[in-house]
Amino acid sequence: MPKNRVKNRQLTRPPGLSTNLKVTLGVLAAALTVVLLVVATKLTDPKTAEVVRADSHRLSTAADGKVTIVEFLDFECEACGAAYPGVEQLRAEYGDRITYVVRYFPIESHPNAYTSAHAAEAAARQGKFTEMYVKLFDNQNTWGHQEQSQAAVFEGYASELGLDLARFKADAASADVAARVESDAKDGLSLGVQGTPTFFVNGERFAGQPTYEGLKTAVDAVLNR
Amino acid sequence: MRPAVLTDRLLGWVLTLGGLIGALAAFVLMVEKVELLKDPSYVPSCSINPILSCGSVMVTDQAAVFGFPNPLIGVAAFPVVAATGALLLARVALPRWWWLSLQAGALFGVGFVHWLFVQSLYRIGALCPYCMVVWVVMILIFCYLTLANAERGHLPAPRRPTELLLRVHSTIPLVWLLILTALIGVRFESYWSTLI
Repeated sequence: MPKNRVKNRQLTRPPGLSTNLKVTLGVLAAALTVVLLVVATKLTDPKTAEVVRADSHRLSTAADGKVTIVEFLDFECEACGAAYPGVEQLRAEYGDRITYVVRYFPIESHPNAYTSAHAAEAAARQGKFTEMYVKLFDNQNTWGHQEQSQAAVFEGYASELGLDLARFKADAASADVAARVESDAKDGLSLGVQGTPTFFVNGERFAGQPTYEGLKTAVDAVLNR
Repeated sequence: MRPAVLTDRLLGWVLTLGGLIGALAAFVLMVEKVELLKDPSYVPSCSINPILSCGSVMVTDQAAVFGFPNPLIGVAAFPVVAATGALLLARVALPRWWWLSLQAGALFGVGFVHWLFVQSLYRIGALCPYCMVVWVVMILIFCYLTLANAERGHLPAPRRPTELLLRVHSTIPLVWLLILTALIGVRFESYWSTLI
């Protein structure tokens, strides 16, 4: 029997590389070439990401510009909600001695990540970014992690804040607001932000714990320098 | 008819290894699911970043379409594929109805996997690494099983096209997987571009 098998195989196997192997390797090589070309064109693109831009939302602005904290956040992210009280404590303590910047970084897997960011941006268009930021985080447990759109809830917050509701609704749904949120997220991605919250202290990625103590240590280190 | 291209040996290995890898991936997913049920704050071992994340995929409705966790299907079905492969390697002759049943199962599996692919990319917006392992082996198993069933006459198939496809048997799943890879590349393009 074994003899037979060997004979059989020799009979069915043509010499050299089989057509199958040749074609398969050819396709694989073509695919790799395409990937390499795409990567090469990307690499030659200049990177223009910035940690803070002129239109970035500032919760507070330090006159001396000594410390700037930038937080890339998603209003629906639990870790951001967990960091929020610490951030508020820090803001209350340092006030206008630090510049605190909030940038959008909606995480796709959160159903209302974009809706909430759009609500915040729509509020910003009526000068109430900070107020909406506070509302969204204070009530994260109410509206977070729900499959349905929470736009109506956010409209409720807008009326509580005394915003022009018609304008708010139009803004929240506008392409302009969506593009503004997207541009923040793009900067974040280019800066290597992979999750939220991600903090930058004076342009440097903050590697410590995103707690009151952790952030305070980083701020004090700069202020006492 | 003795198959000339997809021999018992080749098909046997594809089914054995594919079945084992699929079973292992489904098993790990099931264990992670149990951990997640015990402790909702548990972070699965494959939640690496916002895009590569089982956690965010596993908690969705799509992860239990039939009312129970999807991986249960894999845990039950992949071992059958592996066992079939092992029987082939042991040179046990299997009846036509066996092959047709396996074909039906593979057809369901490959269809299901593509539905999950669409959900994962365009609804959930995250990829789960273990799930992707299942996608890959499912496509390999389906391609080879279908081709072999056509070659062996279990499935009615026109001779000419079958022979043509048999001549490039491994190119078929490769092209298939490359298309899916390209879709993933395009969908999460902004994320991948941060890696380079």
